[in-house]
Amino acid sequence: MKKLLPFFAAVCAIGFFACKPERLVMPSEPVKVLSGSWQIVKATRNGTDLTTRFDFSQFRINFTDSSYTIDSLVPFIVNRNGKWAFDNPSYPFNLNFTAKDSSGKSSPLLYPVVDGQRNVIISFSPGCSSNSYQYTLKKAN
Amino acid sequence: MNRLWIPSTHKNKNYRMKYKSLTWKIVGAVLVLIIVSCSLTIDTVDQPASVNGGDDLHVTVNAKIHADVPQTSSFMVAVLVPKVWHAAQNTHITFVSELTTGVQPMTVIPAGTPAPQGNGLDWPSLLAAKVGNGGNLLPDWEWVAFYSNSSYDVAGGADGTITISITTKTSTDNLMFKPAYCIANSSDGLSSSDRYSVFKTTNSCFQVNGVGDLIDFCNPQLSTIDPRTSLDNDIVTVTFDGGIDSTALNNASQVYLCIAGITTTGDSLSVCSQTDATRMRALGLNKWQLDLWPRKLFNLTDNQHLSGLKYFFTDANGNHKVGYGGGSDPFTYTFKCQ
Repeated sequence: MKKLLPFFAAVCAIGFFACKPERLVMPSEPVKVLSGSWQIVKATRNGTDLTTRFDFSQFRINFTDSSYTIDSLVPFIVNRNGKWAFDNPSYPFNLNFTAKDSSGKSSPLLYPVVDGQRNVIISFSPGCSSNSYQYTLKKAN
Repeated sequence: MNRLWIPSTHKNKNYRMKYKSLTWKIVGAVLVLIIVSCSLTIDTVDQPASVNGGDDLHVTVNAKIHADVPQTSSFMVAVLVPKVWHAAQNTHITFVSELTTGVQPMTVIPAGTPAPQGNGLDWPSLLAAKVGNGGNLLPDWEWVAFYSNSSYDVAGGADGTITISITTKTSTDNLMFKPAYCIANSSDGLSSSDRYSVFKTTNSCFQVNGVGDLIDFCNPQLSTIDPRTSLDNDIVTVTFDGGIDSTALNNASQVYLCIAGITTTGDSLSVCSQTDATRMRALGLNKWQLDLWPRKLFNLTDNQHLSGLKYFFTDANGNHKVGYGGGSDPFTYTFKCQ
C-alpha cells in the first residue's frame, strides 16, 4: 500500500492543478452607429406607401456624436437641427430628438440589417397624432 | 365480344361500396341539416333619417333566432359607423328576448380578440373582410363588435325574438353615412352565411346635421383628400375623380391643382400656376392624384399655420376649371385632428 502512496499523491496533484475556473465572457451587443448621412428609402403614411409618390430624394439627416442637421426637409419628427440620443446606448428602443428651441421628441427605433446594410426605421406623427408615418433610412453614399 | 368478367366477390364488394357511399351521403345530408339549422335573422331596423351633430343616435334592431340543436354561446352585435364617432367608447347596447330574463347588457369586444372560426382575425377585421363597407365610399369607417355579458343555453327547437337597443353618440361632424348592423354568436362567428345576419342601409343615407365640411360617405366624390383629418405638416393626397361625372376636364390630357391655403389669421395664399408642383399624376379612367406637403407648397414660415384649403382642378393652360360638384365654387378642406 505504501508503494502506491506516491502514485495517489501524483494523481491528486494533477487533478488539483488541472482544473481552472473558466471565465465566461458575455457577448457584447454591437454598438449602434448613427454617425453619417442618411436618406429615406421607404416612407409610409398610415400604411400607404408614399415612397415613389412624394419627393423624398433630397432629404438627408446627418448625425454626428450627439448632433444632427437636416437638409431638404420633408415632414419629419423635427423641423430643425438639434441634438439626438438613444434612450439606451446598448439596447436602444427609442431615438430621441431635441430640435433647437423645441421640446424633445421620441421615435420608436428599429435597426434591421437589409442587404448587408444597417437600416434605421423610425415612426412619428408630424401632424395629427392619428396619422402615423414610418420612414426607413439608409446610409447615403 | 369481350366481356369484363367480374367475380362474385368483386360484385359483393361493389354492392358494399355503393351501400357505404349511400350511407355516407345520408349521414352527410343529416349533418348538414343539423349544422345549418341554427340561425339568426335581422327582420327590421328602426333608425332615424337624421340626427343633429353630437346627439345620440337610437336604433332598434328586431331579429329572431331559431335553433334546432342545443347551443351555449354569447350573443354578438356589431355596428358599422364612421371612425370619428369613436363608437367603442360611445356606444351602449342591450337586448331583450323571451329566451332570457330582463334586459341583457353587452360590452365592446377589445380589438385584437380573435373571432371564432375567423382564421385569427379579430371581429372588426373579419367583419370588414366578409361583410365589407356597407356601401360607404370613404375609408374612414369601422366595425365595432359587442358580446353579451353572459352566455346562454339555447335549447334545441327553440324559437325566439331578439330586440336590440343601440345608442351611440354621434360626433359634431357634418356627415352622411350608411350604417350597417350584424348579429352572430360566439361559437359560429361568420363561418357561413346562415350563421349570422346583416342589415345594410342600402337605399338611403343617414345624415348627421353637424358643423364643418360635409363628409359624404354615400355618394361618389369628384374630389377627396386623404387623410380625412390632418394638419398642414402632414402629407395630404388630393384626388380628382373625373370618371364619376361629366366635367370640363373630361378630355384633359393633363390636370393641375389650383389651390389656396387659408391661414389661421385669415390670409389666402394662392398657388395656381401650372407647374411641376401642381401637376397631378394620372391614375387612369380620368382619375388624377397629387401628394403635397402644405407647409412647403405655401412656403409657410414657422409662425404661419393653415386652417383650411380651397381648390379647383384645371387643364394644362388653366382655361378650364372644375370646382365643387363640377361647378365654379371651390372644393374646401378644413385642417383638424379627431
